[in-house]
Amino acid sequence: MKNNKKAKELAVFALFVFPAVAFVLFATDIPFVMNLYYSVFDWNGVGKSMTFVGLDNYIKIFTHDTLFWKGVRFTLKFAIFYVIIVNLLSLTVAIVMARENKVNSVGRAFYYVPYIISLTAISLIWKFILGPGFEALYTVTGWDIFNWSWLGTPKLAFYVVVIMAVWQNLGFYMVNYIAGIIAVPTELLEAARIDGATAFQVFKKITLPLIMPAVSICMLTSLTFAFKLFDIIMVFTKGGPANSTVSVAYNIYKEAFVNSKYGLATAKSLVFVVFVLLVTAIQMKITKSKEVEA
Amino acid sequence: MNKKPKNLRQVNALTIIIFLCSIFWLMPLVLIFINSFKPYNDMIQDFLALPKSWSLAMYIETWTKFKFPMLIGNTLLYTFCTVIMIVLMAPMAAYKLARTKSRLSKVCFVLIIMPMMVPFQSYMITLTRLVANVNLTGKRMGNILVNIGLCMPLAVYMIHGFVKNVPIELEECACIDGAGKIRTYFSIVLPLLTPILTTVVVLDTLATWNDIITNQLIVGGNASAMNIQNALYMQFSAQTADWEHALPGIVMSMIPSLIFFITMQKHIVGGITAGAVKG
Repeated sequence: MKNNKKAKELAVFALFVFPAVAFVLFATDIPFVMNLYYSVFDWNGVGKSMTFVGLDNYIKIFTHDTLFWKGVRFTLKFAIFYVIIVNLLSLTVAIVMARENKVNSVGRAFYYVPYIISLTAISLIWKFILGPGFEALYTVTGWDIFNWSWLGTPKLAFYVVVIMAVWQNLGFYMVNYIAGIIAVPTELLEAARIDGATAFQVFKKITLPLIMPAVSICMLTSLTFAFKLFDIIMVFTKGGPANSTVSVAYNIYKEAFVNSKYGLATAKSLVFVVFVLLVTAIQMKITKSKEVEA
Repeated sequence: MNKKPKNLRQVNALTIIIFLCSIFWLMPLVLIFINSFKPYNDMIQDFLALPKSWSLAMYIETWTKFKFPMLIGNTLLYTFCTVIMIVLMAPMAAYKLARTKSRLSKVCFVLIIMPMMVPFQSYMITLTRLVANVNLTGKRMGNILVNIGLCMPLAVYMIHGFVKNVPIELEECACIDGAGKIRTYFSIVLPLLTPILTTVVVLDTLATWNDIITNQLIVGGNASAMNIQNALYMQFSAQTADWEHALPGIVMSMIPSLIFFITMQKHIVGGITAGAVKG
């Protein structure tokens, strides 16, 4: 009798939970575990011949792979630029546009729109503006800035990627900051103002400490976004010019799908995972320690 | 008392500056829109000007030449199937996982949540291998199954957090009244989850409609199963793009997202903020 009831409960549990688990297993968990397996083989992804090479792939990454480390340097540099610029800009916009009124809600929507547009559209839009658009503007204005080869010069291409990423995502961070700012109790702000604090003092001493949860979410998401930078590179620059915008994730992708070195690519994937998890863990610890209660 | 008006004026000046910047922020989209009506020569000569005529000829040509009905059909199919399957399965799993305290339940929860912690890029290579092994490469079914799997973790995670705040007494009442487990779920629990389900639907609709990476990886160059984003990417990302067709194409691919944004603005903004924990 008791066993019967247990079996029935298990059946209901399976009915409710297993379909979801099956899909996740198929699309993510199993591929992730397959990484571990392939990473110790030398394999071109198509043929049947797989040679067991032990930890050779990992050793290769740390000793011979200059392009991978170039990618690491690019990704870190991108992360520094992106995290600072996008957070400063979005926080500024959020502070100014936090109050509810018509002008602000229209302005916020404008900032937000690029975030809901597909990456294909975004990359084609920027390609058009930097290409024919700048060409046209150069003939009108004669300014050199429109004549530079923005996508053909390694240094400039880096800034294009940063600008595009900031342009696309600013709205997302802005909304998060606004949610934090709205939650700050107005009595505190009024009390400080009555005591004669300037706007800047109020921000520094009251608003900023109280929106630290929002700050830590935004810092964390912008940092992980930067480390995982892939979509923009794949769709927009394809790593060019001269491999100057190859991010870590794109390097892995290329290793597999262009160079057909699946074993090496999966080993890199695992190094990449450890790297991302480590940095986010450190980041979380730092910002969490700065949060205060209202 | 003298200070206040001055402060107010400062704030207003700042607001105006930031607002003007927001118009500037939107400029790339506006420029694409106005140039999509021009022949190529006019784009170069009068980049900033309004088009001489608002003729839809190029739009119609792009629509037929690049098989837009099929592309939009595919994209709609992917979006509908993914969202429907997520709405069907995610709340069931999330609800049961939140209400069952057993080791099996914990294991299942970890299996579902794990992908949120590791970046997609780290397993996409082996994912394409797996999809190829089960003969789903280049097929619509492959794209749908993968999309569902990729959207599931965040959906379950968000609903799971929500279910914990739904009072358990309601279900007990229904049980005492003699309703079965499945009936209790559909008639009592599911309606209570509407707010969080709206968020999930909004997030997954946008994600699937705008998806290019999954479609690129799974479907690749198979024209009949491409979604609209992938097709635009394949057609127009070459070195010398055919802008006369590309621009109307971009605009048409954006219109559904924009309409969706305007009508669902509140839910989108709220939902994406709620999804931010995903990290």
